[in-house]
Amino acid sequence: MQEAAIERGRVIRPPSYGRIARIFPHIVLITLTFTSVMPFVWMFFGSFKNYVELTSGKTLWPVNWTFENYVAIWQRASFPRGLLNTAAVTIVVTSAVMITSALAGFVFAKYRFWGKEQLFTLLLCTMMVPFAVVLVPLYVTVAGMALTDKLAGIIVTGLCSTFGIFMMRQFMESIPNDLIDAGRIDGAGELWIFTRVILPLATAPLSALAVFTFLGNWDSFMWPMVVLTSPDNKTLPLVLAGLRSLYWSRYEMYAAGSMLTVVPVMILYAVASKQFVRGIAMTGLKA
Amino acid sequence: MTTQIASSGAMAASRRPLGAAVAKMLRRPQFWFGLLVLLPVLAWYAWFAFGPLLRAFWMATIRYDLMDPAASPFVGLKNFEQVFSYPLFWTAVLRTVTFSVTVYLGTLPLALFVSLCLVSVVRGRGFYQFVIYLPVVVSYVAIALLFRMLMDPQTGQFNQILSALGLPTSKWITGPNSALPSIAMIDVWKGLGFHVVIITAGLLGIPEEMYDASKVDGAHAWHRFRYVTIPLLANTLLLESVIMVMGTLQAFTNAEVIGCAGDSCFWISRLVYSEAFNNMRFGFATASAFVLFIFILALTVIQIRVLKPQWQY
Repeated sequence: MQEAAIERGRVIRPPSYGRIARIFPHIVLITLTFTSVMPFVWMFFGSFKNYVELTSGKTLWPVNWTFENYVAIWQRASFPRGLLNTAAVTIVVTSAVMITSALAGFVFAKYRFWGKEQLFTLLLCTMMVPFAVVLVPLYVTVAGMALTDKLAGIIVTGLCSTFGIFMMRQFMESIPNDLIDAGRIDGAGELWIFTRVILPLATAPLSALAVFTFLGNWDSFMWPMVVLTSPDNKTLPLVLAGLRSLYWSRYEMYAAGSMLTVVPVMILYAVASKQFVRGIAMTGLKA
Repeated sequence: MTTQIASSGAMAASRRPLGAAVAKMLRRPQFWFGLLVLLPVLAWYAWFAFGPLLRAFWMATIRYDLMDPAASPFVGLKNFEQVFSYPLFWTAVLRTVTFSVTVYLGTLPLALFVSLCLVSVVRGRGFYQFVIYLPVVVSYVAIALLFRMLMDPQTGQFNQILSALGLPTSKWITGPNSALPSIAMIDVWKGLGFHVVIITAGLLGIPEEMYDASKVDGAHAWHRFRYVTIPLLANTLLLESVIMVMGTLQAFTNAEVIGCAGDSCFWISRLVYSEAFNNMRFGFATASAFVLFIFILALTVIQIRVLKPQWQY
């Protein structure tokens, strides 16, 4: 219901609705637009300046456009490698989370078995535990499997998502049982019902979940920092954070490195902004 | 009540033997499908979620022996005693709480204000939402480097603007007193869009009749806000509050990448990390993480008790 309201674009106005009341929100929002975008504008133009020009800061627009920063970073800071590693982890984990969340969400929503609610509550409890608590034990677990300094060490710990299972369960509970029963009466198997009846209905929350998981893994920092040690295995955020010691206070390098990390995400956001926003709104609505 | 259930169960069993019931269950395709789905998922949880959590309990009560973990001596609550008598722990607690409070107070009113503006405009709402959400989707590490550039005391854009306007400049993240507020500012900037989307969704979920009714009663804008919007938004605000407390108390990446002056941004998560992987004190690190856990848990329970509305509409 609330989701529909968002998409309808309902308007809530103050009762005394004069000209000032009409313009004022726009002023606030335009100011906010400016403060949201401006740092990125600085980053964009800064990445095309050389050090002297960037730090003297005369103009926003680069006088001498240079691509040297990108070339230097691409060659020296093992960016291509980091990009590949991050892409690999993100793609595998996102696909896995979509599959496990949809399947487990379906079972928790539509099956009846002994102890289901208790089991589900137990899973939800893991969301309350700060990551710092399991940081060391999880590291010991992964080390015991000989997965330290391997991308697999990050992937295995991300295969299931409690939030994902929760979100898919919440959604799938709203799918009428009649649809499933109709399939069963026609002799359809459970997998058929899941893939042909449930999944097509769940594309909206599933794509929101995909976007969420993608972002979380693309930006993940603490856990990769613990698990991955050798330069060849580092993911993009680690490579990027490494720029601080590689190029001490060379801000044009920071800007170029940030650009390389941010641009893929921004492209994705521009294409799928609806899923992003809907995904966030859902976390708020369903809780 | 219990005896009734028990007797009816016994009756059912006497009518239909247990073996037959099991056989019937095993014939159902749902049983096999459910088992096939849940077994791997639960195995994963046992191995990567509950296992580590149990191991964390164990770790917090031993002096971890890196060479031979199984031979680690049990020390009971010694680790916790050490944590509480460790001055740097209290520094971390103070910093983390200050940071959390600053971000909370900076974000929540601002997000509410922006959301109110956002729901009152028609034209450009999609655009505004798109732009406000931009900082949320961008990697924190990139943001940290970006603000390191903007906040440089000598060459940074922020100080250039301030001095151009004739205002006093700041040392930002390099100043011992300005570092924490600077990081808090970055967090507010980065997180605002997220909270605006949630609050906006909450605002749009308030039934229109409520506003119509208040209009009929002749309520002014402030009264409407105070007696219609805020109470009906209570669930959303509770969620917001819980999310924000949990998130800010677990902060790590921001200060870790930006690097603040001295220990001014030494959060508890950073203490856990450095004790574990720089000093190799696994037991101590996990014990201090548990203190954080209990703290967050207590705050969450308190928030739910205090802020949860006692009625529904």
